[in-house]
Amino acid sequence: MRAYVASRLVQTALVVFLSLTAVFGMVRLSGDPVLLFMPMDIQAKDVNEFRERLGFNDPIAIQYGRFVAGALRGDFGESLRYRRDALALVLERVPATLLLGGTALLLTLAIAVPLGVVSAVHRDSLLDHLGTLATVLGQATPGFWLGLMMIYLFSVQLGWLPTGGRGSLAHLVMPSIVLAAFFAARIARLTRSAVLDVLGEDYVLTARAKGLGEARVIGKHTLRNSAIPIVTLAGLEAGQLLGGAVITETIFAWPGLGRLTVQALLNRDFPVVLAAVFLISVLYTLINLAVDLLYGWLDPRVRLR
Amino acid sequence: MRGLRSALAVSLLLGLLAAAPAGAQDRVKSKEVVIGLGAEPRTMLAVTIVDWTTNTQLEHIYDRLLDRDPKTLRPKPMLATGWRIVNDTTWEFTLRQGVKFHNGEPFDAQSVKATMDYLKNPASKSHYAAYWRLVKEVQIVDPYTVRLVTEKPWPSLIDRASLTDFLVLPAKALRELGPEKLNQHPIGTGPFRFVEWRRDERLVLERNPDYWAGPADVARVTFRFIPEFSARMAALLSGEIDIMKDVPPHVVEAVERSGRAKIRAAVSSRINYLALVNLKPGPMQDPRVRRAINHAVNVDELIAQVLKGRATKICGPLSPANVDYAPVECYTHDPQRAAALLREAGHDPAKLQLTLDTPSGRYPLDKDVSLAIAAQLQRLGIKVNVVVNEWGTHLDKIKNRNTGDMFFLGWGPAVFGQGVIEPLFQANQTYSSYGNNPLINEKIAKAITIVDPKGRAAAYAELQRLAHEEAAWVPLWQQHDLYGVASHVEWSPRADEKVWMYDAKVVAR
Repeated sequence: MRAYVASRLVQTALVVFLSLTAVFGMVRLSGDPVLLFMPMDIQAKDVNEFRERLGFNDPIAIQYGRFVAGALRGDFGESLRYRRDALALVLERVPATLLLGGTALLLTLAIAVPLGVVSAVHRDSLLDHLGTLATVLGQATPGFWLGLMMIYLFSVQLGWLPTGGRGSLAHLVMPSIVLAAFFAARIARLTRSAVLDVLGEDYVLTARAKGLGEARVIGKHTLRNSAIPIVTLAGLEAGQLLGGAVITETIFAWPGLGRLTVQALLNRDFPVVLAAVFLISVLYTLINLAVDLLYGWLDPRVRLR
Repeated sequence: MRGLRSALAVSLLLGLLAAAPAGAQDRVKSKEVVIGLGAEPRTMLAVTIVDWTTNTQLEHIYDRLLDRDPKTLRPKPMLATGWRIVNDTTWEFTLRQGVKFHNGEPFDAQSVKATMDYLKNPASKSHYAAYWRLVKEVQIVDPYTVRLVTEKPWPSLIDRASLTDFLVLPAKALRELGPEKLNQHPIGTGPFRFVEWRRDERLVLERNPDYWAGPADVARVTFRFIPEFSARMAALLSGEIDIMKDVPPHVVEAVERSGRAKIRAAVSSRINYLALVNLKPGPMQDPRVRRAINHAVNVDELIAQVLKGRATKICGPLSPANVDYAPVECYTHDPQRAAALLREAGHDPAKLQLTLDTPSGRYPLDKDVSLAIAAQLQRLGIKVNVVVNEWGTHLDKIKNRNTGDMFFLGWGPAVFGQGVIEPLFQANQTYSSYGNNPLINEKIAKAITIVDPKGRAAAYAELQRLAHEEAAWVPLWQQHDLYGVASHVEWSPRADEKVWMYDAKVVAR
């Protein structure tokens, strides 16, 4: 087990290094970084002076070497746009991101798993059909539309909730619901089919035959056995929530990591892009590792080597 | 997306109650104004980064040497009470006495010198070094008199000084605390003092009771950063913010009807134009073709149909808001003349194919305008391929001269001639679309060094006439800046795009 975790951590380092290298190459292909943060009405030679000073005129191999040397020391350079340490800028966003992502994930599981289980147990009942309707709606509704509609209803019309920003519990309500709506729909559908699969197994029949109550049959024998695909998807979604809540963050003016990253990409703020990719890929691979460790706990037949 | 947004914006208003919400009522009592902007500032340090959003916020904390009259846009006193030309390469400024920075440090000639030294120091990596490149040194004559000595005659120095290009830093604090500390807690002489900057959320300022021109009416100014336009609009209509910049023309009526906010418009000095690119091979090399396009594009129709009247037509490269403006006659809308000119240049309009590059969402309805221009040229049979670019790509294409035959661009604040003519009409400039004209090059080189006001006016008038004859652009219009302003705030926007809260008043309604 310890050896397994150690080797996975080495893999993590490799994955992070390779993604950084790939992104380094891609952002350099996206165009001239200097034009976007310099004023438009200055002379071409002044622009070039900046390019020279920031090292963008050097051969790409030298720039890459400099980047790797810096990154190994945790130094991703200074944001071109904000003139601050790029990694610090990214780390500043982590609390807001974790707060929103964590809340959304908890909300997702709290809605999706019961919904999926009820739908499966009462298959083809009215409840199941309503559940299916809800999940289809949840998946088909674009986040930006749902977000704007909620702002319209709860902020403008009713005045119950703030339109956006961060600060209180009230600020967290709408963005986490918008995020959870989409992710919960996916997990609910998966839960339903996973539970249905297991419900057909012989050991469930056995459990029922030996007179176990429905709660134990579902809670212990069924749910635990159908948990692996659910945990897998929840792990993927947790990763997406970290870096991919861009639209929700934008609509609700939430100061998260996703928006910072996308803005940095659009502004060709390379140091920030790379620092964000670094952080997101580290978190993503760690979540994957946690998911894999969970497999072993959920299903003792899974041996981690 | 836009259709959906306008549908939303209209529906937003259908069920609105006209009563001011609780938050807004509290702000009336505490005299607080909340402004919704699309982005946060990039720094709190003066004279470092050139960026509209940054500067419109910093100007509340720091003062400039000179201000501009909001109506005429001519320079007027601010931290400097007077200025004069000593000789061709020396400007002298008389400084206001008794002004104190927020930390108590007095403002004097040392502050001006320290600010110039900071921005010109390569280690500061200030964008403003490029703007002030011609300044050789700052001479302190006495504590309230400074002289700026330039390498060569530079009449536009006064124009730079009265833009946002010289926000004055405190000399002693800069020396003792250093730029990094000042970035965390900015110290200026301005009408508002720094309270708090929560990254990507809000910037809070409070009134400076000792402001040299008297304290502001507004006690507290909060800038909130709301990137999404619909969310910004919802924040205005739900009373969370009091001022919103860039209301799109198609929702103006909806805001007016809401009863909670009204529209305030200013004719901006920022111009929009269609560049007819002669820096690459193609039909635009021929001035007759460029003139033909000028006759074929119906600017009045674009303003009425696309921008709902929210733009002011211009005919030459400078707008009347520019101090060096001279009137030139418009190209008349005359499709027959356009077709004749094209044939004269050897092009059959029905066979002519052109490409037009446009950004999307950078300027008011830029993409829609470009598509409408394509449709107008199509009436002559010209086939126009409109290429919509992401902003960074658009700039790259202009820089690398691989746009199509035409591109859409905005330029501003454009308040003095040099700032427009020099970067946009010479082949060696980054965003130019026109050049390699020795006559124009020579006239530009001369115009920017003429100190005598009459001679300067004549030189710029001639350049405007030449640019018009050469038909380097289809000049389009001055943008109208549209703001949504809550009913309890009295404030008028300015042509130089400053959201200047010193002029605002909070009134109970």
